[in-house]
Amino acid sequence: MMGSQDGCAMWNEPLVGNLFGNFYYFRMGDRKMGKHSILGEHYKEAWLGPMRDLVLGGGAARFPEVVERGYLIIKEPNGSIGSPLLMEALPESSMIFLIRDPRDVVASSMDARSEGSWLSGRREDQGRTSKSNPNSYARTRANSYVQQIEKTSQAYSAHGGRKVMVRYEDLRADTLGTMKRIYATLHIPVNEGELVRAVEEHSWENIPEEEKGEGKKRRKATPGGWQEDLTSRQVEIVEDITAPLLEEFYPDAAITTRGAL
Amino acid sequence: MIRDAWRKIKGGGASSTGERPGLKPENLVWVFGTARTGSSWLSAMMGEMGGCSRWHEPLVGHLFGNLYYVRAGHRSEDEHFILGARYRELWLGMVRNFVLDSAAARFPEVAGGRYLIVKEPQGSVGAPLLMEALPESRMILLARDPRDVVASNLDAHKKDTWTADLMRKGGKEKPPSLAESSPDAFVKGQARRYVRDVGNAKLAYDAHRGRKVLIKYEDLRADTLGTIKRIYSDLEISVDEGELARSVEKHSWENIPEEEKGEGKFHRKATPGGWREDLTPEQVEIVERVAGPLLGELYPVRSTA
Repeated sequence: MMGSQDGCAMWNEPLVGNLFGNFYYFRMGDRKMGKHSILGEHYKEAWLGPMRDLVLGGGAARFPEVVERGYLIIKEPNGSIGSPLLMEALPESSMIFLIRDPRDVVASSMDARSEGSWLSGRREDQGRTSKSNPNSYARTRANSYVQQIEKTSQAYSAHGGRKVMVRYEDLRADTLGTMKRIYATLHIPVNEGELVRAVEEHSWENIPEEEKGEGKKRRKATPGGWQEDLTSRQVEIVEDITAPLLEEFYPDAAITTRGAL
Repeated sequence: MIRDAWRKIKGGGASSTGERPGLKPENLVWVFGTARTGSSWLSAMMGEMGGCSRWHEPLVGHLFGNLYYVRAGHRSEDEHFILGARYRELWLGMVRNFVLDSAAARFPEVAGGRYLIVKEPQGSVGAPLLMEALPESRMILLARDPRDVVASNLDAHKKDTWTADLMRKGGKEKPPSLAESSPDAFVKGQARRYVRDVGNAKLAYDAHRGRKVLIKYEDLRADTLGTIKRIYSDLEISVDEGELARSVEKHSWENIPEEEKGEGKFHRKATPGGWREDLTPEQVEIVERVAGPLLGELYPVRSTA
């Protein structure tokens, strides 16, 4: 919806956050504080600059139409682990923190990896295999949710520039109203008629029926669908791992299995 | 902001910190291979020669290489991917600035013609990218028999060894390792790692048009001074022979105190062919199967084939 607005372009998952974040937060460990590691804490100024150039230069080369004026929407959910570094390197940027109930995220990811699904076919083409144990995968995905959301939350809190937090559930319930809030909060001018048309064009109802459903990229778009999708054991696993985030971002959504594990 | 970046790139891709006075890319000497090939030993000898500094495992090759070749290898043709093929020239230029800026910040003494030895065995997966980004740099490919490399790693990752001490110093306990619970699986994983690291380092070596030298750990052990002289000669770096002889002597195996050597220690046995005692026949077969092509290329005489 945002990428289709006049004067905007969308950069679809550059993984630049994954590039730096994965290394900085997972691979380096204690070596961050030493002299030698390439992303050493004491030399942050030396590498944040080139990192900024990599993003800005990469964006400008790919999307020359927004170089002089306009906005580049960078969809980077799988690079969220590096969001604190990205926002530190680009403090003038605007940031959207998009969050969704972890139980629905895990349910959706599990469906995407199920046999014959849209993602499993792609993974097979790449020679990658999906986890065969659903409970084990639920645990893995819940853990990666925590890593990504914790880092995004950290970046969001520290970011001094324009920013907005949006819940997927609000976006589903009132897409136009939520989109307007995004643009208003980020101080980005938008043509309301154009926005209405984009919201309509990309609405769930406008997606052909044959492109929706289990195993497809557009699955059900139903907040709370996890209650049908996950086994009680899987709900326990996800709630146990994500409890602090559920409580912080979904205080009204009850944790159903507290103390079960 | 984007406009400024684009102007900078169109204007020649200067670094965010401007020019890098005195830091010449040709004075970077990269040491690639894989862990446990003797790169600490070699770089210690080279790093203390007059006019040299040593950058100890920046892991910049791992930073870029792991994403490019391993985690997102399937996206290299995707134009949205930050390291996508279509924009290779652009991001390689930034990798170059990234390395040079970082080196200049850490080793200001290198400015003005001194050499920086970059010990980077564990970043070897990214060696092809680094050498393409810095074609003027010098390169050492340090190879070692994969069976000895795997045997050394198998020992290192057992309980209460130097790797556990290292983690303890960082305030962490070493988690249980496959080296103890499933040694054959560990051996297979290490053999794959060898292929990834040394395989990519070899790719970089073959493609590199600048000064380069391939040496084997076994030759370095058998004739340290002669081999290290060959390194300096092939890389066209002048060296004081007396100083070199002293450095070789200082870092020799014989000069390491006995209590610092042996099983479970960083300095283990330094014996080429020691894998015959260290690995089971099944483990030897695993390594030879996984690393077969590289083993055949680097060590044509095989044991069990």
